[in-house]
Amino acid sequence: MQIEFKVNGKEHNMNVQPTIRLVDLLREELGLIGTKEGCGEGECGSCTVIMNGKAVNSCLVLAPQIRGQEIFTIEALEQDGQLSKLQESFINNSAVQCGYCTPGMLMSAKALLMVNSHPSAKEIKTAIAGNLCRCTGYNKIVQAIQEVAVGDQKLGT
Amino acid sequence: MDKDFKYVGHTFPIHDASQKVRGSLEYLSDIKLSDMLYAKLLLSPIAHALITRIDTSKAEALPGVMRVFTHLNTPSKTYSRYRIIPNQEFCLEDERLLTDKVRFAGDRVAVVVATSKEIAKQAIQIIQVEYKALPVLSTPEKALQEQVTRIHPEGNLLYEYEYKLGEQLPVTEDCVVVETVTNTQKVHHAAMETHVCLADFDSSEKLTLWAACQGVFGVRTIVADFLELSYNKVRVIKVPMGGSFGGRQETILEPLTAFLAKELRRPVKLSLTREETIISTMTRPATTSRIRTKVTKEGFLAECSVNTVLDAGAYASSSIDNTYVMSKKICKLYRISYYEHSGKTVYTNTPVAGGARGWGAPEIMTAIEIHMDEVAKSLGMDFIEFRLKNLVHPYDLDKTSQISLGNARVIDCLEKGAKAFGWSKRFKRETDQGRFRRGAGLACAAHKNGMYGGFPEHSTMTLKMNEDGSFILNTGLHELGCGTITSITQIAAEVLDIDPKYISTLEADTEYGPYDFGSYGSRVTYICGACAFEVAKCVKEKLLECASQILQRPIQYLDHKDGRVWVSGDEQHSISYRDIATTAKIKHNTDIVITHTYHGTSNPGAYAVHFAEVEVDTATGKVRVTDYLAAHDIGKAINPGMVEGQIQGGVQMGIGYALYEEIKVGNDGSILNSSLKNYHVLNAPDMPEVNILLIEQGGDEGPYGAKSIGEIAFVPVAAAVVNAVNNALGTSISNMPLTPEKILNALGGKKHAN
Ligand code: FES
Ligand code: FES
Repeated sequence: MQIEFKVNGKEHNMNVQPTIRLVDLLREELGLIGTKEGCGEGECGSCTVIMNGKAVNSCLVLAPQIRGQEIFTIEALEQDGQLSKLQESFINNSAVQCGYCTPGMLMSAKALLMVNSHPSAKEIKTAIAGNLCRCTGYNKIVQAIQEVAVGDQKLGT
Repeated sequence: MDKDFKYVGHTFPIHDASQKVRGSLEYLSDIKLSDMLYAKLLLSPIAHALITRIDTSKAEALPGVMRVFTHLNTPSKTYSRYRIIPNQEFCLEDERLLTDKVRFAGDRVAVVVATSKEIAKQAIQIIQVEYKALPVLSTPEKALQEQVTRIHPEGNLLYEYEYKLGEQLPVTEDCVVVETVTNTQKVHHAAMETHVCLADFDSSEKLTLWAACQGVFGVRTIVADFLELSYNKVRVIKVPMGGSFGGRQETILEPLTAFLAKELRRPVKLSLTREETIISTMTRPATTSRIRTKVTKEGFLAECSVNTVLDAGAYASSSIDNTYVMSKKICKLYRISYYEHSGKTVYTNTPVAGGARGWGAPEIMTAIEIHMDEVAKSLGMDFIEFRLKNLVHPYDLDKTSQISLGNARVIDCLEKGAKAFGWSKRFKRETDQGRFRRGAGLACAAHKNGMYGGFPEHSTMTLKMNEDGSFILNTGLHELGCGTITSITQIAAEVLDIDPKYISTLEADTEYGPYDFGSYGSRVTYICGACAFEVAKCVKEKLLECASQILQRPIQYLDHKDGRVWVSGDEQHSISYRDIATTAKIKHNTDIVITHTYHGTSNPGAYAVHFAEVEVDTATGKVRVTDYLAAHDIGKAINPGMVEGQIQGGVQMGIGYALYEEIKVGNDGSILNSSLKNYHVLNAPDMPEVNILLIEQGGDEGPYGAKSIGEIAFVPVAAAVVNAVNNALGTSISNMPLTPEKILNALGGKKHAN
């Protein structure tokens, strides 16, 4: 099937299998390897991307569902060679260990900050509840998200 | 330890953090080679059976399928996944690439190699296998009782030992005798990246393996010997991995993937799904430990007798050593006049057990710390007071190894931790009567620093100075996500007195790098860190010699700082590291490069005491950990931010171990929860804030006094949580995990008893 969609601000018009999952489309077809797969069934959040302003598990999204949608992946967080404050904060708070959960974690955090620039610790924990991290115990991740200076959280505009 | 350091003791992010937050770091699952083929496994759906027929013809006929392998067209030779060095003891060679007799639900029956993942998956589904079922022995009890059915020809009892240490005192009236039985369960390591392996065999007859592993030289010795290749023809390269926790310590997928690449003479990638990773790779071993102690009325441990049964699962892997090391832990923590330990390692028709964070210590420490609370209760003694009477003191000898425990600061951890946590107030609070009951628990723990005392222990590194004064530190290290590369770089930077950004520390590669055993056994900071320290010292000496030649002054008249050397008292008269390196090369025909082997000759204890507060919902049986404090005797924290992260991650894993995590195996050997949907890993809302207290007293041979952290961080957690639940409910549960069901049962039982 032919679908049109936007990834990180770029228009795509592709002929794809209707059964292809968004995670595969991003990783295999578009070479965006920052989106990870940890379970393939919506349980770990490693594959989180932002679709129309919301964090979604890209392993559960099939090609037909992305028609006409706007998708942002981890690769969009850095702008003009400049890491976003959120990314910087993860680095400065030792919130990154093996890093496999990090892209998904950052996208869930970004989706939260886009609608709530002053989240409480509880709101942060809820927003990343679907993102499993086996390394950090989450404390530093929550701290990193909370510490992000409140600023323009719009993305890709 | 008063000296202020420039880099050691300061927090640095993990070395590749900026790539990780960009999503640009290539993990093994991201690497693609041109011409690469994809392999997919067929795993046994049943737990014990002979394969009577396999028909692969349909799969082979599928377009895109290159080859299909089963036991019929692969070597019948066996190997051990655990071996680290040639001729290593207790490495039972009981595994085949593909089996003719399945021994657990998840055993490898066939493999398809195809041009795409999808084709390989389709092909697997059309392989027809006929099995002749055998009786399933799903627990060690069943396997030991069974007279006829043998999982392996040698029988179901894999290993057994018994030893006694010290003098048994004459029986006195004044002793209490307490016995407890603690069960710990199989758990999934749950690294977020699933297992993957990539191999290539090129036209020069060389095999290359890209391995997300904990020890490239271990992988090489197993694979090269299995395929009968000389070691110079096998290159194993450590690549980025999404966590390990012991799950990638053993060589699980590499022999098969290497075989496939060699047969097909093309790169082959074998990737496992989460379900395949849960059931078919490795688990933490399930154990049962029966502990019986005789304790004087004053509260001194007179005798301790332990019996451990460890469920190895279907293949030996590291289980023999794992069982044995469990007997080596308790005497690192407590002074005991007479100690005896007997153990059995048993095959069962369940997933294979293997290395897991803490290697036997979490299992046995959970058992002893639950036991210690029971003893204190029977003595009517305060939990802390009782422990203080028995804990080891600095520089005690480890009774089991006769090696010094070093500056063992567990008493500090207990006393200072208890104060910081407000233990006595929380512990002595009035019992809640309502639906929600609070309780406090603590647990002490001991672990080790490397393998000295039972195994060879050394590490080699090469440090070279570039022409511009920057450095390359070539190592056999494996970054598992714990910050190893960063902390080793900090150590070298401190010695060389240069900003760490001018030192590149390389990870293990059997072809280009020096030898090291690998990242396990809590040896990395203590042993490899000491190697980095010493090699940097040697290089600094050499560069000062060069500077002395250039500046025409004896070394003792030179000062240095921040990458510059000058004549004492005359800072103007200085020379940069860059000028030293370049001049040495050009004018003095000297290359500043040193390879150094550090040989470990000590193995002090690493200690922790953890304190947990929980709230139990007596209506649902659910437990919430509401507060937590972890006190650690770490000697010196090289990178405090990463140390805290190790502890918080250990606590997260340990709470799961105590309360939810278990790979459940049915009576027929089927795996009842093989997905993250029904295998619960702690998420952010479940996780308490972990307060951390570091005791940094140095005093041992680690770099700048540092000791291990990654494994010990996990060791006391489960016992602290279990003890807190028992405190909240007045119960004595010791059968992990403490699921709501078990808690409600215990509460029901208690009401009944009343
Ligand atoms: S891979 Fe999508 S949620 Fe785990
Ligand atoms: S940093 Fe390893 S899973 Fe989160």
